[in-house]
Amino acid sequence: MIETHGLTRRFGDTIAVDSLDLKIRDGEVFGFIGPNGAGKTTTVRMLCCLIAPTAGTAYVHGLDITRPEEALMIRGKIGLLPEVPGLYETLSAYRNLDFYAQMYDVPKGVRAERIESLLKTLSMWDRRDDPVGKFSKGMKQKIAIARALVHEPDYLFLDEPTSGLDPEASLTVRNYLLDLKKEGRTIFINTHNLDEATRLCDRVGVMKTGLLAVGTPDELADMFWGHTTVVRLRRAVPGMAEVLRSLPGVTGVRQEGDAFLVEVTSPDDTNPLIVRALVEQGGEVLSMGELKRGLEDVYLRLLGGKR
Amino acid sequence: MRLDRIWIVARKDMSEFRTNKYIMYSLVLMPLLMALVLPLIYLTPFTMFAEPSDPFEIDFEEAGIMIGKDVQGGSYNNITFVNCTLVDVVAVNCHFEGCELSNSLVRTSVLANTTLRDGAIMRSNVLNVTFENAVASDVRTLGEDGEQEVFLKQFINFLLLFFVLIPAILPTVIASYTFVGEKLNRSLEPLLATPTTDAELLAGKSLSIFLPTMLVTWLSFIPFVLLVNFLSAPVIGYAPLPDATWLIGVFLLAPLFCIMAIALNVVVSSRVTDVRAAQQLGSLVVLPVVILFAVSLSGLFALGPLTMLLLTAAVALVDLGIMSLTLKTFRREEILVRWK
Repeated sequence: MIETHGLTRRFGDTIAVDSLDLKIRDGEVFGFIGPNGAGKTTTVRMLCCLIAPTAGTAYVHGLDITRPEEALMIRGKIGLLPEVPGLYETLSAYRNLDFYAQMYDVPKGVRAERIESLLKTLSMWDRRDDPVGKFSKGMKQKIAIARALVHEPDYLFLDEPTSGLDPEASLTVRNYLLDLKKEGRTIFINTHNLDEATRLCDRVGVMKTGLLAVGTPDELADMFWGHTTVVRLRRAVPGMAEVLRSLPGVTGVRQEGDAFLVEVTSPDDTNPLIVRALVEQGGEVLSMGELKRGLEDVYLRLLGGKR
Repeated sequence: MRLDRIWIVARKDMSEFRTNKYIMYSLVLMPLLMALVLPLIYLTPFTMFAEPSDPFEIDFEEAGIMIGKDVQGGSYNNITFVNCTLVDVVAVNCHFEGCELSNSLVRTSVLANTTLRDGAIMRSNVLNVTFENAVASDVRTLGEDGEQEVFLKQFINFLLLFFVLIPAILPTVIASYTFVGEKLNRSLEPLLATPTTDAELLAGKSLSIFLPTMLVTWLSFIPFVLLVNFLSAPVIGYAPLPDATWLIGVFLLAPLFCIMAIALNVVVSSRVTDVRAAQQLGSLVVLPVVILFAVSLSGLFALGPLTMLLLTAAVALVDLGIMSLTLKTFRREEILVRWK
């Protein structure tokens, strides 16, 4: 489990992370979304015991990040994929991984086997002896992910795992992360990619210096908009909107051409009433469904966008 | 500190150096230049043009001995004079001890503690001889070096200073690529995320610079000694190296200068983002060595074993100070937040 209590980090007069309180369960995939400079990377660096908090503390696997001797143990239990792969460009892919396996005390007998398995899984085994400097950005990212996993860490911190990758490479990385999710590893992802966060993360935190909101993508949408039923008619006639507004359980109605967006407290109770009322008004219902608010809507709403 | 961890870091860095042609060129060419090329260029002329300074071999078969006598005129062969006063004599193949010679001609003889007035001496070996208006030609002074020997020894000392200079220069080249290179490549962050202490990482990275630097320094010292001895022995009359002063210099002072160079370059690397800038600033570390060069050449102090030991102790103290500064610079927090 990862727990933060009032975790704060200042750089001079600037507050990068402000009183962060967070709990991430074992086996959970947690995503941090937020604009540049929101404190996401600083939070990850603090949790990886790379920089110290100015105030507050955090526990990773029950170990306090502010205690040097416990920090050393935490670093043995985590795998970090920084924003930039940071590989040794003149060394081969295999040598890069072998070095980190040694640094993480992976026993000699297991090392070769594990590196082979990782490189094969990421389709990089054939390039194992090539210098990393010759690799494309996507290939480097794969090696950096393999590096973060070479010691089979309990906790994986990924800072922008698909940033700057082409769609194919992004898909490969994302699919691999989904596989890791199935293995039950605790994964902490910093991302700008809201679609990626929706697909991969069990819960998402919206960050801007402090934590603005946290929950599953659906919970976050419900937090702001409740449920919205969308009804498309062959032809809308005047007066229908007023009829809908008068129905019990309806909190708002908006007309867009021949469609109505009806905000309801309980779709199961109110949707049949909506259909009946519209039919009675002479309407022909073409389709009916629930409007799904995405993470993008939540993000923009929280960070001052229009939606 | 865990030694195995330090060694893992050092070994990785050294395998990176092998792929860096600039580092490899520096490691091979600089010692080659200073240990072989420069001595060859500068010492060969001595061998070619200097005359041998061994004492003349004087074929002496004692035919008689005079003690405390006044000798006026005459020609003498194979005679030993002790505490004699000689005037207007010609002496060939003679030995003089504690004598006074006036208006005399001496050839192929040995003179000790003797005064020579208004005469001439040729092709003789002398020890503590006072010349008063006497003409001397082709005289070898026993027990002390001639001008060319003194100059040659000074020059060898000058060349030996390169073995203190190499360990100060090479770390500048290597460190600029490792620390600044890692910073530019952003490869320090994942390394800092491993379960390793800051001191272990610093020690590993420093060791990776120290080992190849000192290895090439010491390895090149062997051919240097052989070459210098080969070239200068005929002039000096004996093999001048290795001597105690420079054994201390090369095996104690040089590693300490190397440590100083590494430590200073870590501090420099933390402040710059360009390999060339790091090299330029880092090369300032050679200043103390250059000052040592200058002072040594000016003859302000003689470089003896004691001077060298004192110098070594002073550099060791400076090293301790700089290393504590380096330890403060090479901290995770500093590297990620303040290293620019």
